[in-house]
Amino acid sequence: MVPVDAAKDVAADVSVDNEITAIGAAVPDPTVPRYASRALLQLLFREDRLFLVLSVFIGIFSGLAVVCFRFAIAWCRIYLLGSGAVLSPSRMILAPTLAGLVIAVLVIHVFPLARGSGVNQTKAALYIYNGQIPIRTAIGKFITSALAIGSGHSLGPEDPSLQIGASLASAIGRRMHLSRDRMRLIAPVGAAAGLAAAFNAPISAVLFVIEEVIGRWTAGILGSVVLAAVSSVVVMRLFLGSESLFRIPPVQLERPSELIAYCILGVVGGLASVAFASGIGALRPRCKALPRWTQYFQPAVAGLLIGLIAFLGAPQVMGAGYEYMDQAMHGQFTWQFLAMLAGLKIIATMLSFVSGTPGGMFAPTLFVGAMLGAAVGGAEHVFLPHLTGSPGTYALVGMGVLFAGFLRAPMTSVFMVLEVSGNYSIIVPVILANTFAYLISRGLQPVAIFDVLTRQDGLDLPSMEEQREENILRVEDAMRPIEEPVLNAQATVDASLQLAESSAKDDLLVRLGPGGWSSVTKQELRALAAEGKGGSSLSSLSSNSLVTIGPIPFLHPDHPLETALRYVDRWPMIPVVNRADFLKLEGVISQKDVLDRYREFGEG
Amino acid sequence: MLGALTALALVLFLAVGGVSRAFHAQQDALGQRWFNRGVADLKARRFDAAVVEFRAALRYSRDDYTYQLNLAEALMGLGHTGEAQAYFINLWEREPEDGLVNRELARIAAQRGETEKAQRYYHNAIYATWPEDQPGEQEVERRETRLELILFLLKIHAKAQAQAELVALSENLSNGSSQDKASDEAAQDEAAQQARIAELFLRVQDYEHALAAYRAVLRSDRHNPAALAGAGMAAFDLGLYPAAQPYLRAAAAAEPSDAQIASTLAITDTVLAADPFRRGISVAQRDRIAAQAFAIAGERLLACNATEGTAETSSQRNGTTASADAAKNSAASGSTHAAGPQPSLSERWEKMKPQINEAELRRNPDLVEPAMELVFGIERQTSTTCGTPEGTDMALLLIAKLHEGN
Repeated sequence: MVPVDAAKDVAADVSVDNEITAIGAAVPDPTVPRYASRALLQLLFREDRLFLVLSVFIGIFSGLAVVCFRFAIAWCRIYLLGSGAVLSPSRMILAPTLAGLVIAVLVIHVFPLARGSGVNQTKAALYIYNGQIPIRTAIGKFITSALAIGSGHSLGPEDPSLQIGASLASAIGRRMHLSRDRMRLIAPVGAAAGLAAAFNAPISAVLFVIEEVIGRWTAGILGSVVLAAVSSVVVMRLFLGSESLFRIPPVQLERPSELIAYCILGVVGGLASVAFASGIGALRPRCKALPRWTQYFQPAVAGLLIGLIAFLGAPQVMGAGYEYMDQAMHGQFTWQFLAMLAGLKIIATMLSFVSGTPGGMFAPTLFVGAMLGAAVGGAEHVFLPHLTGSPGTYALVGMGVLFAGFLRAPMTSVFMVLEVSGNYSIIVPVILANTFAYLISRGLQPVAIFDVLTRQDGLDLPSMEEQREENILRVEDAMRPIEEPVLNAQATVDASLQLAESSAKDDLLVRLGPGGWSSVTKQELRALAAEGKGGSSLSSLSSNSLVTIGPIPFLHPDHPLETALRYVDRWPMIPVVNRADFLKLEGVISQKDVLDRYREFGEG
Repeated sequence: MLGALTALALVLFLAVGGVSRAFHAQQDALGQRWFNRGVADLKARRFDAAVVEFRAALRYSRDDYTYQLNLAEALMGLGHTGEAQAYFINLWEREPEDGLVNRELARIAAQRGETEKAQRYYHNAIYATWPEDQPGEQEVERRETRLELILFLLKIHAKAQAQAELVALSENLSNGSSQDKASDEAAQDEAAQQARIAELFLRVQDYEHALAAYRAVLRSDRHNPAALAGAGMAAFDLGLYPAAQPYLRAAAAAEPSDAQIASTLAITDTVLAADPFRRGISVAQRDRIAAQAFAIAGERLLACNATEGTAETSSQRNGTTASADAAKNSAASGSTHAAGPQPSLSERWEKMKPQINEAELRRNPDLVEPAMELVFGIERQTSTTCGTPEGTDMALLLIAKLHEGN
């Protein structure tokens, strides 16, 4: 689009952002004095810089918090479940049960906001509470989640880390008296830092926060999120080392025919995701609807049941279970046992989560994915030996499959597997399997788990999935072909008036020259003729004239329709021109056209 | 405000650093405790318990090289090669020159039939670094690894490569022994190594090196029955019958129940008794032996013809061995025949028979050689048409091979 006061400076490759800024500058708001606008811009500029610096601090503080969180989980595990790799039966049952009682009291009386995974709370901070997350939530999340995970509840540390990071970021933002816009965005920045440190995977953390929390890509927020994620990972590695969560076996796609096997894995993973999400979606409101006194015992009962599952032969379901994912990747279990572990972990996680025990679903999702992947790989290896590769590859792809199917973060799921494995040779199986899982999950469970939980909590947060799939209306959807004659700026006023008189419309477009447009009304032309300027060309009219033919903004067909809304109230008709040839008129758009189109869209 | 944040970050860094030290100290102590238990169980070959304990140790120090190595070894003991391999590969990436890790990876590759990979890891292990708690331990490990590689090569029938490795191993052993003049125990150990190498040389049919290795063993233990037998066998296979005889006799005396030694000794004795070209015998003995050999060969020929029909006829009809052998024999004896059909072995034997007795040979000593050439020809041909000979016929065949080309 062309600045209205500088038509001759038209550049063919002007970006939309530049165009909007230029329009804003060209058509200043008369209510804002020029100096105030400049001061505001300077302030904004300084806050931008400050925000980037704060992102580094947020990363550092989140990294430190996550390090302490990991220590706390490990200590809880040692003192509650014992230091060995094999757990004693009494501890297996008592630790999660008793810890459940303590957690319930803490959550009900001291830290009511610590309930849940933390992802939706961070989203709520962004969309509802203007970025405000009380620091008490972080403390509560820290204590209760460490106790829950350390005592063997089937939950993970990633989502709580995400919320702890967001809460710390919010506290810093409040102290720094950031503007409301910045405050809203600071929680996701902290969330990315917390998640990156917990997962030791900065790229996946950034993608997840962008994909699931913020829901849009803008250069400003991306820079802050990346800085925070990287600084937190650096801090975390400083204290905990740089090793990944599990040892990655040699993974590769040996034969193209293996892709069939990965498709099967995608289908199985998609169905498991639906079962997992449906189970949580169905049980959680029922548990919440139980009498209030039962809430004191729900985490304990969940803990008792998980302890029993462990006691009966599957201690692997307790806690986050990273060491067992590692073992599954290295083919230590039979495919039947792996399949059983996947099923039991789904049950154990459902029990922990629906009982209101604070903790995350990332680790259980990865656990179920790894077990399911290795099980499918193992079974296929038995029944279809010509189709399959190593079980480690299937376990790794399986993690991504559940991530895509259950958490419904398809992009993060792909990059997470690549980042964790450091191996890009499995990108094709990962994309293929994840796509199958995502489509099946999307088809059978239209509402994503995070959105289900939000709605159960009585909130109406924007669904990132729905936003991603939303149809965007563009200018081309509302523009109409030009029916009126188009005047030429080189033509005389008399000739133009004569042409204008033949049209039924009062407003007419004027083609200005190398790449500009203007508009003129019949009355203006008549006034010019009366002024005695009938022989002058339209372009030669000076500013001293009663009527000046100056440039007006124009649009391109692919512009979002909301862009048109900014101009259609000030000009009766906006030209829509070709991007390669600004003088080629594709159509015109008016306020009525835009509103009609929105009305049609709203009616379905 | 940013200054305050920086100060706070520094304070928190210090605080978390303190907590971290306490945490890691506790983790290290727990890890060490479980590791020590694991080592005890590994030594006692209780692999399943060791695996659990090493896993517990690794919970507290996931990156610890020694813990991982021991867990991997316990997993190998338990037969979980897949998981063990993953650990070994991780360890190899961290320290590619670790001999133990390379050897374990070689074993896994060998188990899986990945021969190239196995050989590469074995070679890495041979030239890698090994822990040296005691002097010379590295060399011992390297020798053991090379020995293992040789066994692997033999298993995959790569005899030439195995032979090359054996030569290198043998040289290493000689160099090592010359460098440290060790105790009796070390000498015994070296003798055992030499015996093992010699046995492997025998397996790759490098009899010369095998004999040298057995002789090295016998230098330190003159009455070692295995070395005596091995030296005898090696000398026998080299055609050194006079050298083989005393070794085999001594071995037979030490191991009278060993049928193989007994039969080889018997053949050796027969060879030495039936060889008219043996040094140190009188002319009369030579004539007698040659006449006996001629008679025995004739009997073998007649017996063979009787069982096989006319072997010569059939072989002539088929244009195969007999005529070829005859031609070879003629060429070897230097006799020239006129053009036309050559006489068969039977005809030649029949023709020569009246002249080949002790008296005639004493009169015409030049007949010994053509007579023996005919004997060798008969034994060669009958061994192809009538199967492996026995007794004196076998000895005559071996003598024929011994004098081939002379």
